[in-house]
Amino acid sequence: MELLDRYLEAVRKHLPWQRQDDIIAELRANLEAQLEEKEAALGRPLTKEEAEDWLKQLGAPLQMAAHYQPQQYLIGPAIFPVYWYVLKMAFAWCMIIYSIVTVVQVFVAQNASPSALVEAVLRVPAVLMTTAAWVTLVFAAIEYAVTHSWVNLPVMVAPSASWSPGTLAPLANQADHGKKPRSYSQALAEVVFGFLFLIWLLLIPRNPWLLIGPGALYLNASPYHLAPIWLQFFWCIVALNVLQLGWRSEKLLRGTWQKPRTTERIAMSALGLIPLVLLLSVRDHATILLKHPALDQARYGAALDSINLWVYRSVLLLCAISVLQLSWELGRMILNAYRRRVAAGR
Amino acid sequence: MTLAENLFENLRLELRRGCLTLAVLAQLRQERYGYTLRKALADHGLVIDESTLYPLLRRLEAQGLLVSEWREEDKRNKRFYRLSSDGEQIFNQLLQEWQSINTSIHATINANIDSNL
Repeated sequence: MELLDRYLEAVRKHLPWQRQDDIIAELRANLEAQLEEKEAALGRPLTKEEAEDWLKQLGAPLQMAAHYQPQQYLIGPAIFPVYWYVLKMAFAWCMIIYSIVTVVQVFVAQNASPSALVEAVLRVPAVLMTTAAWVTLVFAAIEYAVTHSWVNLPVMVAPSASWSPGTLAPLANQADHGKKPRSYSQALAEVVFGFLFLIWLLLIPRNPWLLIGPGALYLNASPYHLAPIWLQFFWCIVALNVLQLGWRSEKLLRGTWQKPRTTERIAMSALGLIPLVLLLSVRDHATILLKHPALDQARYGAALDSINLWVYRSVLLLCAISVLQLSWELGRMILNAYRRRVAAGR
Repeated sequence: MTLAENLFENLRLELRRGCLTLAVLAQLRQERYGYTLRKALADHGLVIDESTLYPLLRRLEAQGLLVSEWREEDKRNKRFYRLSSDGEQIFNQLLQEWQSINTSIHATINANIDSNL
């Protein structure tokens, strides 16, 4: 029957080439047997219309061939939850890094203008789409590797297999160490204000009035200026704020903002010592310098030494307070860990 | 098709999918080729589209539940399928599972009817 041959030929085109002949031969045998039986029952060959109706019932060639294909996914259901989580994290980190880089480029560099800001905002969709494309590409490759047995899937899901109920965030109505847990809006506000603070911080080098107000004019007119070490100090502070912002954003996205922030507090206290130690390590405590040493040394030299000594003492005091605070936090963490161990042993 | 009809159709297909596999395995305790298998199932009230049944046979064979061989019958080459030894074992397990589910569902439905009376 010519129509059946044409149908089978159309199905063949949509089958994987390795199995085409085998599948078509089997399908032909089954359909010819069915056709023979139909014709025997009628006592005559099928008319063209009847044959068309019969083939229509079998379904379109593409549809028929599709049933022979294994189910295919770009990213399968086993990997999808991990993919979705990574995509959200990638978006968040991408936006944080992009925002910081943009702010630095627009404000710290020479080309600060409203149009540069608008351009940066308009680039956001393209940046996000590129991020999504790369994450999707990587996970599609993982899916391919998993389905072709190149990678063992349990490796991918190991973190979820090893989760512990103890890591679950406390309920909103439960107090933690006598304190009310932070709400979502509080955690969100911390991230938003943290980001605004970072922008403000990055604007300070070119706009010192943002920090000391009218004092900026006095500083400009004074015979003193800040030693280069303050620039390193400034970037240390920026790095600490970026780290804290990233940490809090991640907690917000993971839904763990209610968990105690002991580790974060200790890490930030410890890292906060770095810029202070940097200032303390300056030779002869010379954190403030004269703009024109040759001209002004005789007149302002003594005052400068006094200012530097006070700056040194203040930083030293701040450092001592930070060390005490860090020791206190560490002591509390060790004590709490000991209490939990004792309680678990009961 | 309305939303409710569409939902029903999806649920019906989901419900049938596992049952069809069980019915195919049951029928293939005796060797058959595709068309006679389809007819045997239809005779027992289970009508399956060709586009569903023939690829299903291929999948079950790939999973090791069926074995097949090409043989000539009535001057035509046909592919005959039957249960493999693994297939027989799994079929018996599935059958037990299905009977257990069937009993539980009947008990649940009857319990609901009794409580409504």
